[in-house]
Amino acid sequence: MTRPGAVKSDVHRLVLFTLINRFKTVNTKIHRLIVIIATLSMSVAAQAENWPGWRGPNRNAVSTESDLPIQWSPDEGVRWSARLPGAGVSSPVIWDDQIFLTSSDGFKQDNLHIICLARQDGKEIWHQRLWGTSPTRFHATKSGMASPTPATDGKHVYAFFGTGDLFCFELDGQLAWHRSLASEYGRFENRFSATSSPLLHEDMVLVQCDHYGDSYVVALDKTTGADRWKVDRPDAWLSWSSPRIVPVGDRGVGELLLCGSRKIDALDPKTGTKLWTVGGMQHECIPTPVFGHGLIYAVSGPGGKTISIRPGGRGDVSETHIAWESSRGAPFVPSALLVGDFYYLIDDAGIATCLDAQDGSQVWRRRFPGKYTASPIATGEHLYFCNEDGETIVVRANRKKHERVARNRLGEPIFASPAVSQGNLFIRTSSQLFCIGPGETAP
Amino acid sequence: MNFDFHCIFKRFRPVLVSVFVAVFCTSICRQVDAKDIDALLEIVAQAGPQGANSSAARAASEELAQHGIKILPQLLIAMDVPNIVAANWYRTVYEQIISRELQKSQPNFPVALLQQITRDSSRQGRTRRLVVRLVEELTPGYHRSILPTLLDDPEFRTEAVDFVLGRGDKALENGDTQSAKVEFQAALQHARDAGQVTGAADRLQSLGIEIDIVKRMGFVTRWYLVGPFDAPGKSGFDRSFSPEQSVDLAASYVGVDGSEIEWNLFATQDRLGQVNLVQAIAPATEAVGYAYAELDLPQEQEVQLRCGADDNLSVWLNGEKILARRQWLNGSRLDRFAAPATFQKGRNRVLVKICQGPQHQNPAVANHWSMQVRFCDETGAGVNFESALPQLSE
Repeated sequence: MTRPGAVKSDVHRLVLFTLINRFKTVNTKIHRLIVIIATLSMSVAAQAENWPGWRGPNRNAVSTESDLPIQWSPDEGVRWSARLPGAGVSSPVIWDDQIFLTSSDGFKQDNLHIICLARQDGKEIWHQRLWGTSPTRFHATKSGMASPTPATDGKHVYAFFGTGDLFCFELDGQLAWHRSLASEYGRFENRFSATSSPLLHEDMVLVQCDHYGDSYVVALDKTTGADRWKVDRPDAWLSWSSPRIVPVGDRGVGELLLCGSRKIDALDPKTGTKLWTVGGMQHECIPTPVFGHGLIYAVSGPGGKTISIRPGGRGDVSETHIAWESSRGAPFVPSALLVGDFYYLIDDAGIATCLDAQDGSQVWRRRFPGKYTASPIATGEHLYFCNEDGETIVVRANRKKHERVARNRLGEPIFASPAVSQGNLFIRTSSQLFCIGPGETAP
Repeated sequence: MNFDFHCIFKRFRPVLVSVFVAVFCTSICRQVDAKDIDALLEIVAQAGPQGANSSAARAASEELAQHGIKILPQLLIAMDVPNIVAANWYRTVYEQIISRELQKSQPNFPVALLQQITRDSSRQGRTRRLVVRLVEELTPGYHRSILPTLLDDPEFRTEAVDFVLGRGDKALENGDTQSAKVEFQAALQHARDAGQVTGAADRLQSLGIEIDIVKRMGFVTRWYLVGPFDAPGKSGFDRSFSPEQSVDLAASYVGVDGSEIEWNLFATQDRLGQVNLVQAIAPATEAVGYAYAELDLPQEQEVQLRCGADDNLSVWLNGEKILARRQWLNGSRLDRFAAPATFQKGRNRVLVKICQGPQHQNPAVANHWSMQVRFCDETGAGVNFESALPQLSE
C-alpha cells in the first residue's frame, strides 16, 4: 500500500543516517554513492508523503513536500470538504488514498467514531461506531473524547480516545483488537479529556496516560494489543503531551520522551526503563517536543520556557545536558516548530515567536490574529498557523525576518492541527474536513 | 360425499412427504442456526483484557454479521454485558446488520422488542441508548416521548429531569404557576445532579417554596475542626497526627510555628456543604487539618461517601479508613471521589484529614484549602442523618 518513495517514519531516516555513517569509515566512494541514493530517496519522498500520525511522519509537523497551497477561501482553492459527525480535535491521518479521523458524540460523548474518507473526493469509505469505556470531563466548546490523533503504519490504524480506549483496525475498517485501558488500569480523571496521541515504534504502540489518578505509560504489541511493558508514573499528574522517540548518536538507538509534571523523562522504548530526567517544565504539559540539530526542544506554558536538551544522558541531567533555555513565547496548548535553523512558537493568545535554534536568541516576535489551540505545521517554505476563528496565517519559513504570505479564512473554528499529504493541505474545522490545494474538485 | 382418504393420501403422498421433509429440515436448520449463533456469540463474549481472544472474536463477529435482522434479539441480549471489549465486538455486528436493514425498502425491525429494551433499566445504559437512537430513527420523536417516564431511570434521569424542568419553565411562561410548581417539584424529587437540584430549588424558591438542598444531597455541614498541623512539602499525607490515633475534642496540639491549636466547632452556610478551611482554620500551606463529625442514623445503612478537597483528603468512618487520595494542587470538586461506606445504627464518627501542599509556583494562584463531604445512596440522593454535634449557638 505504500506509495513508491514515501518516507514512512523517523526510523527510515534513522536507518539511512546509520548506513551513511557506518560506510563513511569504510569507503569514501561507497559513502558518496549511498549519500546520493539517500538524497534521491528523500527527494522523491518530498513529492508525495503520507501523514501517518500526530505531527506527521517525523512528529515534528514539518512536511518534506513542497509547493503546498498558500492561499484559499471557502470559494477558492478548496478541493473538497466533508462533513464530520460529533466533536473532535484530533488531526486527520493520511496513508496513500485513505484519510482516517476520529470523533465522539452522544449524551456522555462516549459514542466513538472512526472514519475513513477517500483522499480523492472526501467520500466515506468506512465508518466504525464503538463505545468508549469511561468518558471524562472535556472542554465544553472545543473537545469531546476524540482529541488524540490516530496513528497508522499502513497496515493498521490505531485510534485512542479520552475514554481510555485504544482500538486497532485493518485499513479496510475491520476491528482487529480493542484495549479498554480504563477498565484494566482505572478510569481516566481529566478535566479536558485526554489528548495524548499514540506513538508507533517498531512493533509497539506507545501510549502516555498522565491524569489526576494513577498515571502510567504503556507499550502494547501492535499485533495483539497485549502489554509489552507498563511503567507507572507515580509523580505524574494531569498532562496532555504526546510521547515521541528521538534518535541518539549514530547507533540508531532511540529514547522515548515523556513531558509532564515539571519534567521530561526519557525511557528506553524497548523496556520502559528510565534513562534520564530534566526538570523545569510546567506542572501540566501539553506541547509535544520537537527534535533537530541533535537537540530536543521541549516547551510548556503558560509562563514556562523552552528547554533545549542533548539526549543520551543518564540520571538527572538538568545540570549537564541543557543546551539553552528561553522563557520567550511559551504556549500552553500549541506545540512548537523547528524548521532549519529556526524554532517557532505560537502561544494561545496569538503571540508568535521565532528563536534561533542554536542558542535560543530571539529572531522575531509578532502578534498574530486570533487565539490558538491547533499546533502549527510547516513545509520547508512556509509555516501554517491555524486560529480558533478559522483563519490560517501563512508565514515564510527560514527567514530572519517575519514575512506573512497570506491570511486565509475558512469561516469555521479550527482547533485541530492540520495535515499535509500529496500536495494537499487537510484542515479540520469544528464540523468539516477541508482538502485544500490542487486536484480535481469534487462535485 | 364420500372421501377415499387412502386414495387421496396415495395420490398426494410425494407432495406431503416433501412438505413434511421441508418443514422438518427447516425446523432442524433453525435449531442448528440458533445453536450456531449462540456459540458464535459465546466466542465473542470471551474477548477481554490484554486484547485476549481478539482473533476468535473477530472471526465470530464476521460470521455473525453475515446473518440478518433475525439475530438481533439474541445479539441485543448478548451485547448487554459489562465487558465493554466484548460489547464493542457485538456492536460491530449490530452496526452492519442495522445498516443493511435500514437500506431495505421495507425494513423489518422488531420495534416492540426494541422499545421494550429502551425502557428496561436493568440493561446496560449504553445498549439502551444505542437502541433509543435506532427507534428514534424509525419513529422520530420517540426519545422525547419516553423521557417523562424515565425520571427514576439510572441512565436517562438527567435528560428526563431537564425535560420536566423545561415543561415547568414553559408553564411559568404561560402564567400557569400551579403546573410549574408541580413540574419543578417532580424535577427536584428525581434530580441527582447538583446543578439540577439547585436549579429546581431556585425555581421553587422563586415561587415561595423553600428547599433544604443540604439535606436533600446529604452534605455534612457541622464539623469540629483543628489545624494547621505542620507538614513540610507534601509530607502531610503520610504523616499521622494525634487526631488519627484518637479524637479528643478537649485536647490541644502543637501546630504550625509551635502555636497551640484546638478543636473548634464550625458550621458551613454553603448550600453545597463546602467547608472553606482558610476561613474556618487559617490560611496555610504545607499543612494538615482535621474535621470531625458525629452523625446519628436510625438503622444500619449501606451508603456512598462522596467528597472532594483542596488539596487532598483521607476519610475514616467509625475508625476505619474508607478513602484516601494522594493528589496535590487539586480543586475541590463536588463528588470527585466516591467510596462505599456502612453506617451503623445510632452514632457514627467521621474523621477527615485534609492536606494542603506547597504554594503554587505562581504566587497569584490562591490557596483554596477546603473540603466537601456528603453521604448518599447509589443514585446520589442524600442519606437522612442527624448531626449529633451541637448547634453553633449552643
